[in-house]
Amino acid sequence: MKEESTAIATEEIDGLVSLERGEVDRRIYSDPTIFELEMERIFGRAWLLLCHESQIPEPGDFFQSVMGRDNVLVVRQKDGSIKAMLNTCAHRGNAVCRAEEGNAKSFLCTYHGWSYGIDGRLNGVPGLNIFYNGELDKSRHGLASVAQVANYKGFVFGTHDSSAPPLEEFLGPTGRLGLDTIALRGDMEVVPGIQKFVIECNWKIAVDNLFDWYHPQITHASAFQPNVLPSTSRPQVRAERIDLSGVNMQSGAALDLPGNGIIGSKFETVVVLGEYGHAIGGPTTTSTGYFEFAPDWRDSPRAKAALGPVGSIVAGHPNIFPNAWATGALPQISLRIPRDPSHTEIWWFTFVDRNMPREMRDFMVSTACRIFGPAGVLEQDDGENWAQATAQARGLASRRMKHLLKMGLGRGTIIKEGGLSRIEGLTSEYGQLWTYYSWAQWMKGLSWDELKTATTPGDTI
Amino acid sequence: MADDSESTRSDDRIAAMLRHYEVERFYYAEAALLDSHRYEEWLALFSDDAHYFMPIRRTRTQREMDKEFTKPGEMAFFDDTKILLAGRIAKLKTGRSWAEDPPSRTRHLITNIRVVKDEGGRLEVESNFHVYRTRLNSEETSWIGSRRDVLRCVGRSFLIADRRIFLEQTVLLSRNLSNFF
Repeated sequence: MKEESTAIATEEIDGLVSLERGEVDRRIYSDPTIFELEMERIFGRAWLLLCHESQIPEPGDFFQSVMGRDNVLVVRQKDGSIKAMLNTCAHRGNAVCRAEEGNAKSFLCTYHGWSYGIDGRLNGVPGLNIFYNGELDKSRHGLASVAQVANYKGFVFGTHDSSAPPLEEFLGPTGRLGLDTIALRGDMEVVPGIQKFVIECNWKIAVDNLFDWYHPQITHASAFQPNVLPSTSRPQVRAERIDLSGVNMQSGAALDLPGNGIIGSKFETVVVLGEYGHAIGGPTTTSTGYFEFAPDWRDSPRAKAALGPVGSIVAGHPNIFPNAWATGALPQISLRIPRDPSHTEIWWFTFVDRNMPREMRDFMVSTACRIFGPAGVLEQDDGENWAQATAQARGLASRRMKHLLKMGLGRGTIIKEGGLSRIEGLTSEYGQLWTYYSWAQWMKGLSWDELKTATTPGDTI
Repeated sequence: MADDSESTRSDDRIAAMLRHYEVERFYYAEAALLDSHRYEEWLALFSDDAHYFMPIRRTRTQREMDKEFTKPGEMAFFDDTKILLAGRIAKLKTGRSWAEDPPSRTRHLITNIRVVKDEGGRLEVESNFHVYRTRLNSEETSWIGSRRDVLRCVGRSFLIADRRIFLEQTVLLSRNLSNFF
């Protein structure tokens, strides 16, 4: 029997996202029923990124993560393995750990004192003999383990679904390539300090934005300026400018864009669409839109071999469905954690190569602090768009309008090569549309096989 | 001799009061520049080698309080040199810095100022702040925290050579930090 708190008919879900028309119903950004169903059918089933193994190197090191609305303790074990357990006491449900991270020898529930080992085993119960007459079987009341936990190249994932396919299969070639664009840069570790903040937006708006290479030139017009962002190691080529006729500021003045890099110019992109809703979208490594701050990592024989001919041209943003964005300008991962229909917690993990020279490491860290995160010169302006787009999905009349993802619609020819499905061309909205289309398939509660079939890209989009 | 030492003590107290008064005036003037969005004048209060750092704070157990805040070289909310601060200010002046247009309204309340070390030309000063911000029609944010500054004496005023900002929040409960502290 399925435990379902809510149900929305399949036809109704199909009506929320139209792949043919490139339209999304605004209801999906505000409806609490839909949010509940997401918690169950997406966050209750998908493999979710919990943390990176470098954050918990020693036995007892823990990092508290989130799976849907479950708080999860990811703990390094004495034998070097990693366990993930629900942070809730088997007795009365209190959290057994209230720190975000640290090192523990055991986890004590501060309600009645049930005490658990770092492996989740129930070791001590106050008054076990006197109050429970020695009849409580401790072996049956440990911390609940997350159904499945697996590690792909250091990235630790968990799923609540014991029938979910193995992690590598879930990631598929697209998800794996997405994570490889970080893992292949060296012996990667997370820099201490996860930036966490809350934006009043629906989580999907924050997710789909990562594929959106149409917005930087406007949203981030103030950031792509000399002395605001560091210059990339490749000279910015002056490219063909995009048409801006009729695009005026509130003052009436024409919006002036410099016309280089990704700002006000035309550049080549590649979008990779993957099974289960994973996707990658953005510039190619040879396009004028390419701007990684330390691009040399692609030149190592290890990286070249692992990326292959298709992977080596991909320099856009991967999303591991549903909510883990790997960004490449600097190697970082951002989780977009849904809190309710209109609140999303953003977490930023920043990676460096352990063998990187100190000076380079310092540059990467300080640049990472300055680009994304709440004070980031890019993300401080993003939050504004997402919060307002979420707010405007609540109005009775506004809600009747659809979100439009029509850019390139019907013109995307999908090339299948090396296990990857890609579309080449200029800036498009294929990545966003694919994410929403796949979201709808997840929301139908299909079997894993049906879901994979439904989210296998066809020949066109 | 008792009279002499008494007057020395009294001179010391007067010197400390004067110092406190100078520092207090400096901070009030600084806050006024920030609240009136006069960011270039604000930046001129920093030395060329200044470091502006707001670490990330983490909820940790009492026995791991030494790891509560991240340190320089680790991730932070702000980790800027004067040049980088200048970049942020240049961004605000472009007329396209949307998070600050319409501009947010801020009030910087600086309190509990304590000169914790006075080496003549170099001071270490701790202060508390309450930065109150409203944005648009309904967004309201209160950031409360402390600052630890290194001030260099220049004539009758100071330059900020180092500023550490410690917020009383771990998960930041606001959508951005488009203001200065």
